[in-house]
Amino acid sequence: MNFLQSLTDGISVAAILVIVAMGFAITFGVMKVINLAHGEFIMIGAYTAYVFVSLLKMPFVVALIGAFLVSALVGMLVEYTVIKRLYGRTLDTLLATLGISIILQQLARLIFGVSTKSVSTPMTGSLKLGTVVIPNYRLFIILLSVILVGITLFILFRTNFGMKLRSVSMNRSICEVLGINTAKIDTLTFAYGSGLAGVAGAVLAPIRGISSTMGIEYLTDAFMVVVMGGVGSIAGTALGSALIGEFKQVVAFFSTEVSASILLFILVILVLRFKPEGLFKVERR
Amino acid sequence: MKKTLAICLTAALLMLLVSACSSGGSSKEGEIKVGVLFSLSGPTSIVEKGMANAALMAIEEINASGGVNGEKLVPIQEDYASDPAAAATKAQKLILNDKVIAIIGGLTSASRQAMLPVVEQNNSILIYPTTYEGLEYSKNIIYANSVANQQLEPIVPWLVENVGKRVFFVGNDYVFPVEANNQVRVMLQRLGGEVVGEEYVPIGTTEFSSVLNKIKSAQPDFVFSTLIADSVPAFYNQYHDYGLDSKKIPIASPSATEAEIAGVSPAAAEGNISFFAYFQNLDTPENKKFVEAYRSKYGNEPIHTMMEASYNAVYLLKAALEKAGSNRSTENILNSFIGLELQAPQGKIKVAENNHLWLIPRIARLNAEGQFEIVKEFDAPIEPQPWSELLYPGHEKPWEK
Repeated sequence: MNFLQSLTDGISVAAILVIVAMGFAITFGVMKVINLAHGEFIMIGAYTAYVFVSLLKMPFVVALIGAFLVSALVGMLVEYTVIKRLYGRTLDTLLATLGISIILQQLARLIFGVSTKSVSTPMTGSLKLGTVVIPNYRLFIILLSVILVGITLFILFRTNFGMKLRSVSMNRSICEVLGINTAKIDTLTFAYGSGLAGVAGAVLAPIRGISSTMGIEYLTDAFMVVVMGGVGSIAGTALGSALIGEFKQVVAFFSTEVSASILLFILVILVLRFKPEGLFKVERR
Repeated sequence: MKKTLAICLTAALLMLLVSACSSGGSSKEGEIKVGVLFSLSGPTSIVEKGMANAALMAIEEINASGGVNGEKLVPIQEDYASDPAAAATKAQKLILNDKVIAIIGGLTSASRQAMLPVVEQNNSILIYPTTYEGLEYSKNIIYANSVANQQLEPIVPWLVENVGKRVFFVGNDYVFPVEANNQVRVMLQRLGGEVVGEEYVPIGTTEFSSVLNKIKSAQPDFVFSTLIADSVPAFYNQYHDYGLDSKKIPIASPSATEAEIAGVSPAAAEGNISFFAYFQNLDTPENKKFVEAYRSKYGNEPIHTMMEASYNAVYLLKAALEKAGSNRSTENILNSFIGLELQAPQGKIKVAENNHLWLIPRIARLNAEGQFEIVKEFDAPIEPQPWSELLYPGHEKPWEK
């Protein structure tokens, strides 16, 4: 069997994790909101891709942008109507977002019915390097994850909005004193995080089926990545994803899928015990 | 403002409570209450919503054509939200509060096993419409779909003859895949076949690159998949992405129904094989009528074997009640089930003395449009063996006591 293949697969799994977790990391890190409806924003993105690609026969790129916009809009709405009213009340936000996730799931079921939906892979074929095979679509996912991390870093560190966002995450009250409209920053941040989740959904749609409950498993993934990588750092999210992706593939290579999952959870628990701030958290005053 | 809202909410809650209480109690003259207990929310509701729909449709049909000897069936529907523990409490509620004559419901073995003690203790009836692994007999449960030996016994020899002898097992990590794989392994040994790999993934897994990597290096003739729910479309789609050709190395599955295949893109679906007693594309007059009725009532959803079995469950109950006549004791109704025959959408089915069904398994292959085409239909019904003779020769038969 081919160990190099496992390492390469690990990269593509990591790329999927990055795309899935980044939106979660941003809302968690900046707004301190644990968004239990994150998976449902992924689902919204996936259904948007289904509407654009399978029903309207539009190119996949349109679906990616559409998924971002639709999820971002729904995110904005949710932030404005619910989450805005619960800042600083972690437990209440948890319950509220859990409720929202159930509402969104049932809405999806009302609109699209109960059966699984499919989106055809936008690119078939694969790249062969010696014994290693990488499906073209997985290459695209790896590329897209790099682009999305790049865009997010650019927004965070090179734009006015990003600067405000970072300062709000460091000290909310000082920002308010300085005249930054924190409410607006929150809404936009949540919308961006939800939009990223939407892109994740659109990207995932062709490699799995689309169902109203698909978001649940990604919530756990996103959570683990953020726990491993450290809250509030994009680099941490990327490194956390890489670590988890490779860890799972390598362990699965030597043993089985189930033991890979178990060992991964043990790893996460160990990290939580000995480095509760995450593996890649940069110290900040 | 907040106070008014709180008062309104409390009032609404109270009203709900009152109405919930008053709906219980004994049934009116000329009405027979039937419990319909499926998950309408939670992960398994994707499959169970359709099962509930099919059962309700059968009840409506029966009532429209005169009911059970003039008495109307009244469905009492409950949602156990994909939670086996809730299935037990809801079953108890249906039996004790609503006094239903029987419950139709359950999907996973966990849900059935949670309901089993409740149904036995209260001496009621459960009709369970899902294909399952066997190893169980309760005199209070009618198992209204195929048990593992019926799907596997005729199919494995067919696969070895028509597809090949080297098999790779992929399944979710729970009881059905392990039990089914054990049976297939024994059959393969007898037929000179070989298991070249065996992988179990946690339920809900949708990332299969490492498994596919192992399949590629093992080079099987076909993959035997006992994956369920979200894992099915993910595995089939990625199988195709990773360059495995289902037309040469098909995935054969006793668990991938029309509902799950709907999530597979047609290109990835083509060539793969499933085996069940029922497929939506079966060409019988009863099935045409069933599919048409379902479509006009609930829209264009894929129809699968668990739905058909839920539909049959109601008709079996009707027949049993008619046979039982005026003696509506649980014992008499349960005895009336044995030997019942029904012209179902899948064809003729018959209740065996072990409360399982005699039925005919079919093999279907997915075509380029992602639709099942029947490639093989066996001539005679297969005997249901909860403890398959192959794995448990001479196992005691609790129903003979």
